[in-house]
Amino acid sequence: MRHLFHPGSLRRPFTFCTQTDSLSPVQRIFWLAWRDLVLEFRGRTGILSAVFFLAVMLFILAMAFGPNPQDLQKAAPGVLWVALAFAGSLLAGRAFGLEVEDGTLDDLLLTPGSREWIYFGKLLFQFSLLILVGLVLLLLTAGLFYLPLQNWAWFVVVLLLGSLGYAAISTFYAGMLARLRGREVLLPLLLFPLVIPVVLAAVRFTQGLAQGIPVAELSDWLRLLAVFDVIYVTVCAMVFPYMLEG
Amino acid sequence: MLIEAQAVAKRYGRDWVLRDLDFQLAKHEAVALVGPNGVGKTTLLRVLAGLVRPTQGSIKLVGRVGFLANPPAFHRHFSGAENLHYALRLDGRADDRAEIDRALKQVGLPHDKPVLSYSSGMKKRLAMARLRLQNPDIWLLDEPEAALDVQGRGLLEDLVNFARASGGVVIATHDKSWLSLVDRVVELRAT
Repeated sequence: MRHLFHPGSLRRPFTFCTQTDSLSPVQRIFWLAWRDLVLEFRGRTGILSAVFFLAVMLFILAMAFGPNPQDLQKAAPGVLWVALAFAGSLLAGRAFGLEVEDGTLDDLLLTPGSREWIYFGKLLFQFSLLILVGLVLLLLTAGLFYLPLQNWAWFVVVLLLGSLGYAAISTFYAGMLARLRGREVLLPLLLFPLVIPVVLAAVRFTQGLAQGIPVAELSDWLRLLAVFDVIYVTVCAMVFPYMLEG
Repeated sequence: MLIEAQAVAKRYGRDWVLRDLDFQLAKHEAVALVGPNGVGKTTLLRVLAGLVRPTQGSIKLVGRVGFLANPPAFHRHFSGAENLHYALRLDGRADDRAEIDRALKQVGLPHDKPVLSYSSGMKKRLAMARLRLQNPDIWLLDEPEAALDVQGRGLLEDLVNFARASGGVVIATHDKSWLSLVDRVVELRAT
């Protein structure tokens, strides 16, 4: 196979022999996410610091808003999503932090095929971490802030959609900043302005659920979340390969 | 030709590391890149590997590239076998534990010891095992002899011969003893 590279073009200069390939791109995406999850749980630094941070933050906020259950319940949706956004910013760097710490980013870039699959693998890893932390957070918020979980399935749906939008942007920026010094400072600065629509839609939907408003009346917020998810994932996946160029 | 690079140049900020460089690698050829520190040997290898985008020039490659970095990098919380296992998986290849065991045995490394406890030479051996398993068409080796003991250098010699037989190999080195093993020596000079 031959491929000609001209500087300035957006095409990748290199192609790879794929004769030995026997796994599909989807399988490789799952393997990358799985490998990163195994590494994360062996190292434990990212997930433990996020959960510890969340527990302390929720406890302080519960002390500040309490002890009246009505006040706590009113604050619960905002607390849930702001806490998840902050915990997400702590976890955001983990997608590529594992590669940067061990210096293995080059090996990942040398793997055959176009680089979109790396984005999807890292996105799946980031999304899984956020869901795990989000579920812990949901239970803590229900316990400390009297968040009613009768509609628990819808809480899980909004958690899934909100986490996907957040992970789509954070994975993209984490990849873009992976080789830069000061990425820990830059990442939240770039991340928060873009996740505002996701967090706002998620807060409004969660607020409605907590107030017992029927889901049919809240579905616009869910649709808005889904649209942002599709736009973010599509655009990030398309641009991501060029972000990794040295 | 496995590699045809024409008028390749690379600039970092205002500093040109490579300028107007032509480079070819034929099938079954071994080429040594020599030159003083900072002349651009590693940069050229990284440009050829696709890890760095050249500022100018064009590159044609035929086949898959494998790169042995100096120092090689691995996930330190994984054992040598796990690192090879995931490298193969992410390459899109099905798992072959027997093949991994054989590769580790060939380079004299333990199966389950975490890379965290590896010496530099052991990491270099593991990198050689990984490259052997990946079996690329174009082998790019950056100072492969660094940190290797006498036995390791013997293994490296075997690897270079294998690389030449299966594709083509480019070795960036300061070690003159390698020059007798290659077909051609390319000397880079400061720009």
